[in-house]
Formats: sequence, C-alpha cells, structure tokens
Amino acid sequence: MNWQTVWVLLAHELRMLRRDRRTIILGLALPLVILPLMLYAAKSSSERREKTLEQTRYTYAVTGSQAEEARNRIGRALRSLGQGYPHKQDGKKSLAGLKLEEVHVQDPAASLRKQEIDFYLEAMSGKEADALLKPEEKNKPAAPDAPRKVLPEPKRLAGVPLILIYYQGNQDSSAQGSSRMLNLLRKESSSGRDALLREHGFPADPDQVMPVTERSLATPGQVTGSNLGKFLTLFLVILMLTGGAVGAIDIIAGEKERGSLETILTTAVNRGEVIAAKQLTILIVALTITFIQIAEILACVTFKAISLPADFVIDVSPATVLTLLFLFIPVAGFISAVLLMLSAYAKSYKEAQLYFFPVYLLSWAPSLAGAFPGISLRSAIVLVPLANVSVAVREIMVGKYDWPMIILAAAVMTTTAVWAARVSTRMLNQENIIATGEFDAADLQGGPALFPKRVLRWYALMGVVLFVVALNVPQLATFRRQLLFNELLIFFGGSLLMVARYRLNVKQAWALRAPKPAVWLAILLLIPSSNILGVGIFRLANLVLPVPRQVIEQFASDIMPKDISAFQMILFLAILPGICEEIAFRGTLLYGLRRKFRPVGLTLIVGMVFGLFHVALFRILPASFLGIILTATALLTGSIFPGMVLHAGNNAFSYAAAMKQLGIGQLAWWAYLAAAFVFIMGFAILYRNRTPYPDLTRPRNLILPKIRS
Amino acid sequence: MNEPVVVNQLAKTFFDEARGEVHAVEGIDFECHAGEIFGLLGANGAGKTTTLRMLSTIIAPTSGSAIIMGHDVAKEGEVVRKSLGFYSASTALYPRLTAKETIEFFARINRYPPEKLAERVDYLITRFGIAAYANARVDKLSTGMKQKVSIARTVAHDPPILIFDEPTVGLDVLNALEMQEVIKEFRAQGKTILFSTHIMSEAEKLCDRIGIIHNGRILACGTLDELRLATGVHYLEDIFVHYVKGRA
Repeated sequence: MNWQTVWVLLAHELRMLRRDRRTIILGLALPLVILPLMLYAAKSSSERREKTLEQTRYTYAVTGSQAEEARNRIGRALRSLGQGYPHKQDGKKSLAGLKLEEVHVQDPAASLRKQEIDFYLEAMSGKEADALLKPEEKNKPAAPDAPRKVLPEPKRLAGVPLILIYYQGNQDSSAQGSSRMLNLLRKESSSGRDALLREHGFPADPDQVMPVTERSLATPGQVTGSNLGKFLTLFLVILMLTGGAVGAIDIIAGEKERGSLETILTTAVNRGEVIAAKQLTILIVALTITFIQIAEILACVTFKAISLPADFVIDVSPATVLTLLFLFIPVAGFISAVLLMLSAYAKSYKEAQLYFFPVYLLSWAPSLAGAFPGISLRSAIVLVPLANVSVAVREIMVGKYDWPMIILAAAVMTTTAVWAARVSTRMLNQENIIATGEFDAADLQGGPALFPKRVLRWYALMGVVLFVVALNVPQLATFRRQLLFNELLIFFGGSLLMVARYRLNVKQAWALRAPKPAVWLAILLLIPSSNILGVGIFRLANLVLPVPRQVIEQFASDIMPKDISAFQMILFLAILPGICEEIAFRGTLLYGLRRKFRPVGLTLIVGMVFGLFHVALFRILPASFLGIILTATALLTGSIFPGMVLHAGNNAFSYAAAMKQLGIGQLAWWAYLAAAFVFIMGFAILYRNRTPYPDLTRPRNLILPKIRS
Repeated sequence: MNEPVVVNQLAKTFFDEARGEVHAVEGIDFECHAGEIFGLLGANGAGKTTTLRMLSTIIAPTSGSAIIMGHDVAKEGEVVRKSLGFYSASTALYPRLTAKETIEFFARINRYPPEKLAERVDYLITRFGIAAYANARVDKLSTGMKQKVSIARTVAHDPPILIFDEPTVGLDVLNALEMQEVIKEFRAQGKTILFSTHIMSEAEKLCDRIGIIHNGRILACGTLDELRLATGVHYLEDIFVHYVKGRA
C-alpha cells in the first residue's frame, strides 16, 4: 500500500465531501439546528402544558346517596389547600392552583360522554358499596362505552362508604382532573385519619412511627457513572453510525451511480488504497459529527437548555477517558468499515439508504449488552464485538478496571474492524458489485427474472414494517392480533404480493411438491430432537449473553397468555407459523435466493434471515438454528410440506413441554447428546431419500471472480 | 513478443440471473502494433466493451491472457493500469471538482512525476482549450466541455496505450469529429490506441487495423485493404455484413 497515494485520495474525498451541499446540510447544519429546536419545542410545550393545567377549571358532578358528604370532603380538602400547601416542596405539585367547579346535571354518565363535564363522583353508602363490589358484580364485563372508574377495588372494610370517580381515559382534561381530585380526596382522607388518631390519644403523626429510610454509599459520581456506562456505547454507536452514514452512503454507492468509481478503478491506484482512503474519510466524518454533537449537547447542558437531575455528577478521571478512547477507537474503525461495506454492496445511493436502517437496528442489540444485568466482561462476552465494549465501558464507568479483559476486548474489536475493512476491499474486487450494470438483463425482463435481485429488499421492508408496527401500534399489542398481523399480513400477504408482483409460478416458488413417504419418518424424529437441540443451543448462547430470567418469564407469559385455550394456542403458535412462515421463508425467500448462493451459504442465509425476524435478541440464535434445519429440510426434500410439519411440530412440542413442565432447559448433557443422535438419524433418512430442490446454483467457477490489483 | 498489446484466447463468461451463463467473450486473439489505431468493430452486445474492460483490469478474464506492455492484466493490474488511459461513456468525472483539479488529480494518482505535474496540467489545459473554464466545477460544464476534460484526464499521465470504448456515443457531429481528430493526434504522438465502435464510417476513417467481433468471437482481423481483399467487397459495412451473415 502506497500511503502517499492514500493521502492524495483522502484529501480528494474530503474535498468532495466539503463541496457536497447535501452532506453539509444533512450531516452538520441540520443536527446543529434540530437539537436546540427540539429542546426549545419540548421545553416550551411542557411550560405551556403546565400553564394550561394551572388555568384549567375542571368541571365535575357529584351523585349518589352520600353526595353531600363527598361535597363536604372536597370543601375541607380545598380549604386545607388554601391554608398552606399547594407546594412544590412537599411533593403536592399536582394540587397547586387546582380549580374545580361542580355542575348539576341530570345524567352524569351521559354528560361525561358528551364532554359536558370532566368527571363525576358517585358517593355511596357502605351498603351500596358492598352490593356494588359483590364478586359476581365485579366480574361483569363493563359496557364498551362505560366510563372507567378511577379507583381500583379498594381494600375496604365491609360497610364502609365509598366514593367512585368516573372519567374518560382518552381525554386529557378528564384524566388530569380526575387524577387531581383523587389526590385531593386521598390527602383529605389521610388528614382525617390522623386527626381521628390524635383525638383518640395517639401522640404523633403515624408516618413518623418506625420510619424506614435508605442511604447509598456510592458517590453521586459513581451512580451517574453506572447509569451512563450502561448506555454510553449505544449512544456513541448511534452517533457514529448516523454521522458516518452521511458520507458513507455516497462514497461508493453514489460513485457507482455517477460512474466515477469505474474511472478511479482504471487508474494506477490499487483497490486497497481506494478502500483505505474511503474508510479514513468515513472515520473522520463520523468522529467529527460525533464530537460536534457531543459538544452541542454539552453546550445545551451548560446553557440549561437540558436540565439534568440534581444528583447527576460526571466524575471521570483522565485515565478513564483514555481507557474509553482505547476501546472506542476500534469501534469507530469497525463502524466505518461496516458503513463502507454497505455502500460497496449497494448499487445506488437509494439502495444504500435502504440497507442502512437494518444495520442501524442490528447495532442496537450488541451495543445494549452493558445494560443487561449480570453480564461480566470476564465471560465469553469478551469475544463478541461491540457487546464486549459495551460491557467493558459499563465496568470502567463504575471504577472496575479488569485490564486483561479490557485489552482482550480491544483486540477483538480491532481484529473485527480490520476484518471488516478487508471484506470491503474484497467487495471492490467483485465484479458483480462493481460492474454489473450492462449485464443486468433482469432489469429489462422484469417478472421472475427480476425477482432474485429484489427478494432481499422485500424482506428488509417486511422486517422494518414488522418492527415499526410492533413498536408503534398499541392496538396490535395483544397476543392474537400480533400473531395474526405478522403471520397473515406480513408473511403470507407479503409472499402473495411478491408472487403477484413478479408473476411467479406459485407451485415452483413455494415448492409445493409431494415428498417421498420416508421423509415423514425423518420429520417425526426431527420434531423433538431439533427442539431439544435448539434449547441446548440457547443454553450455550446464554453462556455468552446471559438472558435475565425475568425477560424469559415475561416472554413466556406474552406468548402463552393464560386466557387462551389449548386449541387456540396450537392454532396460533404452531399451525399458523408452520404454514405462513414456511411459505415466506422456505417458499418465497428460498426460491428467490436459490441461485445467488451455494447450498451451504443458502441454508445459513435463509436460516439467519428467519432468525432475525424473531426480533428479541435472545431468540435470534435458536430461531436461526431452527431456520437452518428447516431450510436444509426444504433443500433435501425439494418440498415445503415436510418443513411445514416440522415447524408446526416443533412449536407445538415447545408448548406441550412448557405446559407439562418437562424442563427441557434443565436436561443433562447426555440428553442433548441423545437428541443430537436422533437428529443426525433424521437427517440421514432425509439425505438417503433426498429429492434435491430444483435449479439450485450457478456454476462454481463463475462465482465472484476476483481481480488482482 | 514486443507488441504493446497481445491478446491470447481471452474469454469471459458471466452468470446472469435472468439469462444463466453468458459467454460475453469466447477465446479471442489479436495484437496491437505500436503507434497504430486498432479498432474493434461490432454490433451492440458483441463483446467489445467486455474485452476492453478486461484489458483495463476492471474485470478479470475467465480464461486466456492479455499482455499489455509486457504485463499480464490478470496478475499485474496496477502496472498495467499505469501504462494505459481508459476512456468510455461509463467512466464519469467527479462533478464537484473543477476541470483543472480533475486533470491534476488523475495525473497524481497515476503517479505522474510531481515535479512535472504543473507543466503537464497547463499543457493539457491549453491543448484541449479548457483554459476558459479550467476553474469551473465539472457539474456546471456542457457535454462538449466535459468530453474535453474527460480526454484530458485519460491522458493526464501520458500513458503509451489508450483505450477508447465507443468514445463518440452520445456526442453531436462536431464533438464526434473533434474526438476523431484527437485520436489521430495521439496516434501521431506514437501512442497505441485500442478503439471500439459500432459506427462503420468511424472505423473506416480512423483505424489502421480492424477486428470484427460478433457474439464474443473475432471473425476477421486485418487492415481495411486486407479485409476488402478477403471478402471481395469494398465498403466496410458490406465487409461487416459479409462476416456476420456468413457466421449466422
């Protein structure tokens, strides 16, 4: 490598970037303006909201046999407010400046629905309350348009009067007003209780009897360090990725589009020099934008545009800063190499933008490793790039310097960065990446010929839709709706759309062929064995990236809600995924990629894409394992049906094992070995009775020939 | 073997998802003599561009060899590229550089001696009449102006071999004629020129020797007179049709 040439190329790249108005605006000007604007907007909206709330007069009605008593209580509470506490110091801020107005209405529930009042109180005698809270009454489903009562079933003695507050949770003023009324009445109730105790000779405030308090021995700096350390890697990775992307996306993909990449490749420079210069450019841009944004955030903190908690104290020594730099420099190198790979792989600027989003999302998982409790750097995590830095940074920020492990983490990260840079160089040597334009008859032919070129984009889009919808559409947050949406709309609907859009032959695309009878015996063996092996893989993965128990329990309760029958569970957990996911992954995806990769690569890629769709980090590896098995099954049988049965059987087996508490996750090692033996037998049967998937690969000698520079 | 360009059984097969295996070039042989213009004449899709891209090391041959100035294109790409200038419609300029910066940049990365760089850039600016817009950014230039800058960057490092892949495609008559004049001038300077075209008149006017390429094979190779003698027809268009139809 001629470093003088690299320097000339680097100066050239930087000059081009400097003159690119798009880069300057997107990378520098926009972030500089957006952050203060957002902060200003958030601050002013919060102030306005507070002011509006202070000025709001909440209208309410009181009903019920004990309405007069309720009014008296409200009156007493308001008087006590006037006597001395609206007061921010004692935590009663929500009651400050409370303006209430009782209105008389015929039907409070109807008035609430019509928004004539903000809420209403129903004051009941003890008898009425007892009747209302009888078990059979409690279990009655509420009418769909019935207003909600704000009080959960109180722990009350039988015969004690009750005040229920009804409000509309979907209206801001109703929710706010009722909540403030609730606080008001609770405060009044507690003052009444204290007064009663005093009247009967209790000498002190009950809250002062045997008080429990706490004191942390950590300094505020250590506490801040612990909190900051968990998310610092993610924060910096996001900044570097978004900052670097500004330059990276154009640096190769844009050049390909304009034709200037080919010009540079016909000059005397070698491709390693081109890559080195481009990577250094991305690194410089990423670091510059990261530093600018951090400086801007610090400026916002200094000028009080961002208010930090009072106990937020950053206490970082120069040695800590140097250690963090020692770890973050290879991270920056890795990120710039990944961005370069992305830009080299994409054929156009637009395509590079499309690839950026999944890469961005994927970077979150390892960068968040530090936020998981119980993971120590002195474990296999030290070998996982990015995750190791995340954990190391958390430990460093709390003052734990495990030097051998820190050095190992930095070495792993540096090796990964160098490897990624070498992959980028190799990419620039691949003809299908640098010079496919004139041979892409597929673009002209369209239809089935174009499908292999577009298939991954479709799955990227499906992944984005699945992820974004899951995060942003609360209506789909229930077990059934989420599954129906994913399986029927995204997987099945998406596959149908691809078939229609590219005029694919459904029988071929979805491999709808009858397998040999012996295959079913193999599937029977594979159902339990692959499941047990999958759990074994999960246990192994758990050694590297331990998953907190509560995360698994939460996941189990999410996918196995108690109010769903066994039949429905089998339908939703086994049959639907068995059909829809197989059509999507071993059907359309496998068909689209069948000639892009050799069988082993194809199996791994389809399996991994399948794994990635199981969004939760801890599920990706076992799901990828299952995906690989299912893809191998489809390739050996040439049919989608055995995979469908295996997939559905595997999921049903998991459900049954969980219901019967078989404890597959706690089996001894020999049980996993036995499962592996049965698994191998299953695949041996498949292999002996194979009907290979048709029209598989391209000739070996034509795959990605390399050019020596 | 002293010829500046020697091509021996050069072949290129692609795998295209839509068409399967595509034999773009199937074992072609030819040589270019020093100081001549060798024309590759063929219809669209005949294999001209693939051949020239292999010679300029953008893509690698599937089999066979090509030796440029004594160096194998498959093994010594960097040395090969140093001794050639490649011009085609697909090799674009950097839009955000000025004309002068473009010439300077390409001379520098092609390892032109730094002490002679300024002189060379000034010479090229004068020779191609770029002076008036030398400091204007390329994206502000007209097609004709860009063409001149593009030729200047191709020869910025004064290479002994020049490859022109359909250089007049998309140019108006005047610019096309100017391009032909420039190519002749390079020949006069002793450079070896490989030139591809599908325009018969252009090949007839410019080339010292012509190779007729069709479906990835060279059907005939020689001077215009030799081709006339071999086919018994006078015009290159008829000669071309004679070979292509005969093949079909």
